[in-house]
Amino acid sequence: MQRFIARRALHSLLAIWVMSLIVFSLVRVTGNPLDMMLPLEATPEDYERISKHWGLDQPLHTQYVIFLSKAVRGDFGNSWKWPGHSAMGLVWQRLPATLELAGVALGISILIALPIGILSAVWKGSGWDTAAKVIALLGQSLPAFWLGIVLMWIFAVTLGWFPTSGRGGIEYIILPAITLGWFQVAAIMRLVRSSMLDVLDSEFVKLTRIKGLAEWKVIWKHCLRNAAIAPLTFFAIIAGVLMTGAVVTESVFSWPGTGLLVVDAVRARDFQVVQAVVIVFAGIFILTNLLVDILYAYLDPRIRY
Amino acid sequence: MRPRLVSLVLALLLVAATFTLGILPIWGPMSGSAQEAKGQRLVFASAGFDESNRFWVVARPDHLQYDPFLETLLEVDPKTGEYTPRLAEKWSPSPDYKEWTFILRKNVPFHLGYGPFTAKDVVHSHSMMMRPEATATLAGFWRQVEEVKAVNDHEVVFRFKRPTTVMPYAASRAGDLRIISKAQWDKEGLEGYEKRPAGTGSYRYVGRQPGLSVTYERIDNHWKGEKPAFKELVFRLAREESTRLALLLSGEAHIADLPRELQKDALKRGMKIYSSSFPVDWMTVYLGGQYYLPGDPAFKPDVAWTKKPVRQALNMAINRKELLSTVFAGKGSMTYVTGWSEKSEGFNPEWQHRFDKMYGYDPSKAKALLKEAGYGPGQLKFKILAFTEPGESEGPQVAEALGIYYKDIGVATEIEVLDWAKVREMFRKKAIQCCIWPNIISWRPSEEWIRTSYYSKSPNHHYENEFVDKHYDALTKAVKSDERQRIARTIADHLFDEFADIPLFWFANEVVANPKVVAEWVYPGLAAGRSTHFHLVRPPAK
Amino acid sequence: MATVTARTLPWYSPPRVARAMRQARRYPLVPLTMLTFLLVIPAVLATQVAPHDPLKGALAKRLKPPVWQQGGTIEHPLGTDKVGRDILSRIIHGARVSLVVSLVAIFVGGILGTTLGLMSGYFGGWVDSVLMRLVDISLSLPTILLALVLVAAVGPSFGTVIGVLVVLLWARYARLVRGETLSIKERDFIARARVAGASHTRIMVKYIFPNVVNSLIVLATLQVGYVILLESALSFLGAGLPRPTPAWGLMIADGRELIVTAWWVSMFPGLAIMLTVLALNLLGDWLRDHFDPKLRHV
Repeated sequence: MQRFIARRALHSLLAIWVMSLIVFSLVRVTGNPLDMMLPLEATPEDYERISKHWGLDQPLHTQYVIFLSKAVRGDFGNSWKWPGHSAMGLVWQRLPATLELAGVALGISILIALPIGILSAVWKGSGWDTAAKVIALLGQSLPAFWLGIVLMWIFAVTLGWFPTSGRGGIEYIILPAITLGWFQVAAIMRLVRSSMLDVLDSEFVKLTRIKGLAEWKVIWKHCLRNAAIAPLTFFAIIAGVLMTGAVVTESVFSWPGTGLLVVDAVRARDFQVVQAVVIVFAGIFILTNLLVDILYAYLDPRIRY
Repeated sequence: MRPRLVSLVLALLLVAATFTLGILPIWGPMSGSAQEAKGQRLVFASAGFDESNRFWVVARPDHLQYDPFLETLLEVDPKTGEYTPRLAEKWSPSPDYKEWTFILRKNVPFHLGYGPFTAKDVVHSHSMMMRPEATATLAGFWRQVEEVKAVNDHEVVFRFKRPTTVMPYAASRAGDLRIISKAQWDKEGLEGYEKRPAGTGSYRYVGRQPGLSVTYERIDNHWKGEKPAFKELVFRLAREESTRLALLLSGEAHIADLPRELQKDALKRGMKIYSSSFPVDWMTVYLGGQYYLPGDPAFKPDVAWTKKPVRQALNMAINRKELLSTVFAGKGSMTYVTGWSEKSEGFNPEWQHRFDKMYGYDPSKAKALLKEAGYGPGQLKFKILAFTEPGESEGPQVAEALGIYYKDIGVATEIEVLDWAKVREMFRKKAIQCCIWPNIISWRPSEEWIRTSYYSKSPNHHYENEFVDKHYDALTKAVKSDERQRIARTIADHLFDEFADIPLFWFANEVVANPKVVAEWVYPGLAAGRSTHFHLVRPPAK
Repeated sequence: MATVTARTLPWYSPPRVARAMRQARRYPLVPLTMLTFLLVIPAVLATQVAPHDPLKGALAKRLKPPVWQQGGTIEHPLGTDKVGRDILSRIIHGARVSLVVSLVAIFVGGILGTTLGLMSGYFGGWVDSVLMRLVDISLSLPTILLALVLVAAVGPSFGTVIGVLVVLLWARYARLVRGETLSIKERDFIARARVAGASHTRIMVKYIFPNVVNSLIVLATLQVGYVILLESALSFLGAGLPRPTPAWGLMIADGRELIVTAWWVSMFPGLAIMLTVLALNLLGDWLRDHFDPKLRHV
């Protein structure tokens, strides 16, 4: 088991390292940040000066080595679009907002998916079931930004129930969370529905009756192991989707999270921040997967490959 | 037990945990000003700016965030556009224009209790521009200063390596030399300055919410007696145009920076437009690859518009009136020569009379000119580059409109949307012979504009030849006003006659405001940040 | 509609009503009809069906409302966009663009993923390890972010968008095919084939692949909708197809700031996307339920 954990951990580190390489090269391919940093009036001497100041005059591999050696210590350099802030500092500053949005979005999508899923399972095959499926599927078919703008227009401007953008009290988070979470409704609904169907499945009820109450303990222990697997995987995937989906939602609602941060940073060719955000996001995703894999292996010894 | 149900319960527990984790920060206060009396607060919805108190790395358009609380040596009069005394009472050049002396105002306090404004603060503020990371718009100009000397507490002299006449412009509210307190810097350092910069303006800096807003508060004893009508001023950042419109219409913001398209809708709902006193930006379509210095390897003779008739044809194919009334809602005035407005040195009123004949809309003449140059219908093809910047969304639209006009005269175009940095890189590296591109640039003194755009030794390469170079050199040496006008006019006339590019329109800065909150606002537009002089916003009389 | 439910009905003795219903449900009629009208006909017969040239506009006719509103004309039933192009025609041509982009991306990504997945599952060992690591990395790429960065570098074009989509898509195919290969390769008929001297390639192509096709088709169908949504998201962020392509995502992005004043510019392409993706998802669900319930978690 320990060997397994060690091996998977190593693989994850490898994945993160490759990510850093990919991001580093991609970001430098986008071109010279100097063109974004310097005004139109800049002289050739200005270009040289700023290039030297930020270490951009070094050859690429030197830059990568410097970057990597600092990155392992958590130092992703200083932002140049947000002067005075370190890249990592900006990410930490904005991350809570995105996590908050993702969390509430997930919560709202469960609030919607749960009743729909239960109803559609209880009345399986009926008009309710189809209607529920269509509602959930609608969520997966709408472009998120379009939904966001329409929601904003109807509920914030026309009806005035919610503020249009920004972050503050609970009323600020509702519209962005609905926009972000709507997509997950279908997936969650399906999970709820199939679990309810299992419950109503007569085979299983028969089995428990035959086996008798004394078996509850065994079943509980057995079930718990298997039961934990599905939601964990599900959760990891959802987390990843929500965090990247947040980019679009944050743009529409001016929600000051990491998604908005990275869009601004890409536009401004702020390498340091882009690298920091991408690596942090990917890192979270990879680590979550690692945890899930380890838990999988712990719960189900067959899975250790 | 039912396995799926258990798994579901576990999933819900996990979600509840995230939810709680996420919700906890929500109850933190926003800026506390949601509770403030509404009549006391003015909210301006801006398209966004680089948020930082380090004014020496921030570009001029983003200096709007300093306008309320950091002042400059000279003011820009909101009605006349003239440079008038502000923190400096008097200023004068030496006879050779290499030295500029400023007599400073007395008894001007800084915020946060820092002592009176003296020449030392000017020296200190200038030293910010000498830092290695300085990338302000005029940093290059400020770094040409050989020495800044505080002669006494209220007199300071700037000595330049070469004569300069643009010092008043650079030291005014249209420039970027923000006066900050040396005493604060000595006591609190960069960190303290960044947290709460002390300025001399009629508003003082309260704080920021990164990505969201900046807040300012009115002070009671401004040295000039400026008393803004609103106790609190908030700049709200909203990158999406529809968000800004929504903020305005829902009453969350009182003034909004809106693209012309959305202005119509705001007007329909009772909002009013506040235009700057002067045109601030112009739009021109630049033709790449015009490197006419003899022997320039980047010059490619097969680029169609290196021939003058083609350049004229590309101009005459465009129906400027229609373009203005459709894409820009009719808001703008004609540009005759790229970069020259009536306020510019060397402006020639004759251009207006000659413009229609030379540049006016005439598609059949355009086709004839093309044919004359050897390009029959369908034989000329090129790319139009487009990009958007926050607050400037019309680029791609203009590009598409151009494509349609050119299609009408038998020219095939392809539109490529890039980002600004990429386009800039291309014309910096003289790699843009393929393309034309529309761009909006804000007003600068003529000498600066020529240096930036037409002088062959600057990093930007648009249209360059020996004629312009020679006259630019002469211009930099000229100090007498009439001589400067003459030389500048010679260059501008040359650009006019040669169809150096495709000039389109001058635009004033227009913002939309709620008349219930804003009844009067006069601002020049030429000050750094475009929307400035917020202390002049007056609410309707009760 | 459902007078009987699975709850009370043992699966081994369906009454006549249920059998008839099940037969009617043999074909997913609703999604197929929707798709024919929304996607197939427009895509194939675009130039014949569209009333106007999608690329030709006139500034004088810009932002005309749909025919049922004041100021609208029958000439432009769904109105015109910012530069005067007919929206209906652009939507029709957009079906072709969306379909082509998603099919190409899925095809290329699918072939790449299937090949790698087959090899990974069949050979196992270090090939498997390396490929699965690649899959992991690929799936953990923050997709939209990298698309943004890439397009900022290279500029928007068909090739770039398809490239980005392929990078995002191949991993799912690889993983699916690998899983199926793993379970199939232990079967008897494979062992027999190997004993008979068939080469590895032959086994993979002739024996394993046909058993995997079903799942691939379901996955592909489900992905078309996802790809269309992704392309529109990329266009919204400025990292999508180049102008003036009549792509649905681009059209919504174009009309973004006008969602208030000229709502039709964004609304109709948005509806087109929604209905098309809905139909595709319904079709995919149906396919999955009928062919391969194993894919429930996909």
